[in-house]
Amino acid sequence: MIVAKRKPFNEIEELVSGSKKILILGCGTCVAVCLAGGEKEVAVLASQLKMALALKDQEAKIDELTIERQCDREFIEEINNKVSVDDYDLILSTACGAGVQLVSDVFDHKVVLPALNTTFIGVAEGPGVWTERCRSCSDCVLAETGGICPVTICAKGLVNGPCGGTRHGKCEIDPEKDCAWTLIYNRLKKIGRLDRMEQTSPPKKYGADEYPARIVHEAYRRRYE
Amino acid sequence: MAKSFQEALASGKFLITASIDAPKGTDLEEAARLIDKLKGVVDALGVSDNPCAAMHMSPWAVCRLALEKGVDPIMHVACRDRNRIALQSDLLAAASLGIKNILCVSGDHVKFGDHGDAKPVHDIDSVHLLATARALEEGKDMTGSALKGNATFCLGAAANPEADPLEPQLIKVDKKIKAGASFLVTHPAFNIENLKQFMGHVSHSSVKVLAGVRLLVPEKVAQYRDGSYPGLFVPENILEEIEGADMAKCIGLAANIVKEIRSADLCHGIHITAPGHEEAIIDILKTGGIETEK
Repeated sequence: MIVAKRKPFNEIEELVSGSKKILILGCGTCVAVCLAGGEKEVAVLASQLKMALALKDQEAKIDELTIERQCDREFIEEINNKVSVDDYDLILSTACGAGVQLVSDVFDHKVVLPALNTTFIGVAEGPGVWTERCRSCSDCVLAETGGICPVTICAKGLVNGPCGGTRHGKCEIDPEKDCAWTLIYNRLKKIGRLDRMEQTSPPKKYGADEYPARIVHEAYRRRYE
Repeated sequence: MAKSFQEALASGKFLITASIDAPKGTDLEEAARLIDKLKGVVDALGVSDNPCAAMHMSPWAVCRLALEKGVDPIMHVACRDRNRIALQSDLLAAASLGIKNILCVSGDHVKFGDHGDAKPVHDIDSVHLLATARALEEGKDMTGSALKGNATFCLGAAANPEADPLEPQLIKVDKKIKAGASFLVTHPAFNIENLKQFMGHVSHSSVKVLAGVRLLVPEKVAQYRDGSYPGLFVPENILEEIEGADMAKCIGLAANIVKEIRSADLCHGIHITAPGHEEAIIDILKTGGIETEK
């Protein structure tokens, strides 16, 4: 899933300053799971903004709405069935960057601002902890690396083995972080595929996709091309 | 110029190399002074590439100065700051300037430098860079397109015998040798047993190994301890000795490592680094029992 974290409150406060009618628009998928931009977080942010404005003797109408996904037009287009977007002079989205952009596309006459910093594609390690696992590079090497991504987990994204900074199996940039290549070495050894590490991996194909990337499913090709 | 580094590598003599940093600025006076001082002392002089990710002048300019002064340079090339296009064009530029010795490294992480918000590039890694340089020697770029004029290089790579665990490091070293490294410069070595294990592994190849020797100084002990110098793993007993030591003692400790490496007859040479104290390099050699002309 996509993992994000809320922007510092003072930055959000600055972003919305001067607006009198704000819709805080939550997203019920990834950012809800990572406790950054779902219904509860929208409520907290709305309360914080209301209190901050009250302390400054300012007034603004701040409403809350959370939809299932902001990265899907059909859910965004339903917003006007629930609220009137034109009643607001600003939409503060707590979606990931993709969601903010699609909301901005759909309501291209409105100011749509991000309340989160989108951080990574990752997994839930446990309650309240998420770690990055994928850089969506379009050139997956996991088959060769025991299911551990060096492009993501190695701080330098090295694909042929560790740098010289590994100490006690940890990364040179942070003794709390595992060295990706120590993990890969141990995993490949465990599954009897250490020979994979001995093969030189070619340079990554950063041209595998044109950016911004676009995928049209085979079954829908006739419709779009 | 005296014997080239490539000739020295082939000669079988115990090789003496060192590294200096390019200036942070345009003033080449200090670099010129160090080159003059180390002329005739070292078989080759390395010039770092934005050491510890701190922005400095590109090393090719200092390497060219070294060539003009009769010292064979080793140009360090880090994959951290340039993509594959820029790396190849810099390698071609170096070749055209007469710089033959190239040390291909990944580069310390941007986090350690003075531009912490910079984007680390790492488009290709040190293994790819070695293979790419070999391709340039064969008259092709890394996509196979023909060049007008081939490069001639003597290629080296870095390795850390003190890395823990060592096995993944050794697998990568093998790839570097296979990709074209004819010499290896190690990170500073402190534990002769680790160096023995490392040498035991690479002895199957013809690669020449220059063991890293670092001048440690008391004002940096906290940074050595807290990991501010990536790949520099100083044992606690040495750190305790360095704490409060005067320069003579620091030189003596570095010289002891030189003696130890030499007497163990493990490596093909040494590579001394003494950031900020390069004037001490000759003293380290002399105290370490290496005869120099100066």
